[in-house]
Amino acid sequence: MIALYLPGVSPIHRMPAGPKLLAFMAVALVVTVAAGFPWTLPAAAILVVAGYLLAGLGWRVLARQIFAVRWVIGIMLVTQLVFLPPLVAVANTGRVVAVIVLAALITLTTRIPALLDATERGLGPLRRFGVNPSAVGLLLGMTITTIPVVAGFATTIREAQRARGARVRLTTFAVPLLVMSLKHSDDLADALAARGVE
Amino acid sequence: MTRPEIVFDAVSVDFAGRPALREVSVALDQRRIGVIGSNGSGKSTFARMLNGLVIATTGRVRVHGLDPVSQAKQLRRTVGFIFSNPDAQIVMPTVAEDVAFSLRGRGLSHGEVDDRVSSTLDAYGLTAHAEAPAHTLSGGQKQLLALCAILIGEPDLLVADEPTALLDASNTKRIGGHLLDELPQQLVLVTHDLRLAARCDVVLLFEDGRLVEHGEPGGVIERYEREHA
Repeated sequence: MIALYLPGVSPIHRMPAGPKLLAFMAVALVVTVAAGFPWTLPAAAILVVAGYLLAGLGWRVLARQIFAVRWVIGIMLVTQLVFLPPLVAVANTGRVVAVIVLAALITLTTRIPALLDATERGLGPLRRFGVNPSAVGLLLGMTITTIPVVAGFATTIREAQRARGARVRLTTFAVPLLVMSLKHSDDLADALAARGVE
Repeated sequence: MTRPEIVFDAVSVDFAGRPALREVSVALDQRRIGVIGSNGSGKSTFARMLNGLVIATTGRVRVHGLDPVSQAKQLRRTVGFIFSNPDAQIVMPTVAEDVAFSLRGRGLSHGEVDDRVSSTLDAYGLTAHAEAPAHTLSGGQKQLLALCAILIGEPDLLVADEPTALLDASNTKRIGGHLLDELPQQLVLVTHDLRLAARCDVVLLFEDGRLVEHGEPGGVIERYEREHA
C-alpha cells in the first residue's frame, strides 16, 4: 500500500518534498470535504491519472497501486452497499482510493530522506509544544520500512503452521505475529541506539 | 606504552538479579579482538557494553577514553555496532537511504551525503542495489548493507556481534574477509566461528559470565574446544 521510491527526472520527481506534501494534503482535503459534488470523483480520477503519467510512472504502476488496495476497496464497498445506494457507495470508495493512490504517488516520486526533512521542517514550530519533529520524521520512515518486515513474519508463521499440518486460525496466527513484531521492535530499538539515535 | 583502548575494571552486570557478567577485568589495545564462548556465557553482554547498549551494574568501563554512561552520545559515534540479524538493522526503506540515515544530524550537505553514500556502496559492491528495497537483498548483502551503514559514520571501533551467524559459507567468508582483512578500524568480533576467531590478534573466552582466559588465539581456542568437545 505504501510504495517505494522509483527514480526519475519528471517534474513531480523534481518538485520539492514540502510543497508536494502540502499539495497532496490540499487535494485530499478537497476530495473529502467536497464529497457531495458530482464532479469530485471524476476530477480526482483525472488528477490521479495525470499525476502518474506526468511522473512517467505509467498505467502499470498505477494499476499495481490500485491492486495493492483491493482489500480496502472490497471491504469498503461491501459494508457501504448494506446501508447506502450503490452509486454513493462506489463514489465514496472511489474517493478514498484516489487519495490512497495519490499518497503512493508522493512516496513513489520522493526519497524518504527528503520526506523526513520536509516533515521535520513542517513540524518545527510545534517544537515549543513538546513535539519532536525528528522523532515524527523517523517514525514515518520506519513505518514504511517495517511494513514488508511484518508481512514477512506473517508469511513465515503461515508456512510454519502449514508445515506442521495446523489450520491457520486468527488466535494461532495473531499471537506469534505480535510476539515476532515486538521482538523485532526491541532489536530495531537496539540498532537505532547503536546508530546514535536518541 | 600507549593507553589501552578498551578497559574493563571489575565489571559486573545483573539482569533482574541474574548475573550476566561477573567481575570482568581486562585491558585491550589489539587491532583484532575475538570473543568466544558458549551461548549465554556473557560475550554478547560484553560486546554490548562497548557501545553503551548495556551499562555496568558495578565496576568501571572505558572505551577509547569514553565513559558509556556520561558520554553515551560521543561513544556511539566512536563505536559502531553490527548485530547478527541484518533485518533488524535496516531503518530506512531503500539501500541508499538506509546508509544515508547514519549521516543525519551531522550537518553535511545533500551533495556530501550523496558522495559518501555512493563511495561506501561502491566499496562494498552494493552500487547496483542502491535504489532497491533493502529487505529484498540476500542475507549476505543485508549484512554488507549493515556494515556500510555503520562504517559510513567512520567509527574508531567496530563491534560485530555474531555477524556471520545467519550467513552461508561464502557470505561468511566474504563478511569475515571485510572485517578481518580490510577494516582500518579496531574490531571486536563476537563469534562461534572459530576459524574467524583464529585470525584475530587476541581472543577472549567467556564462561558463565566470567572472562576465563584471554591471549593468543591458538591457546584460547584449544582450551575452548577441549572443554566443549
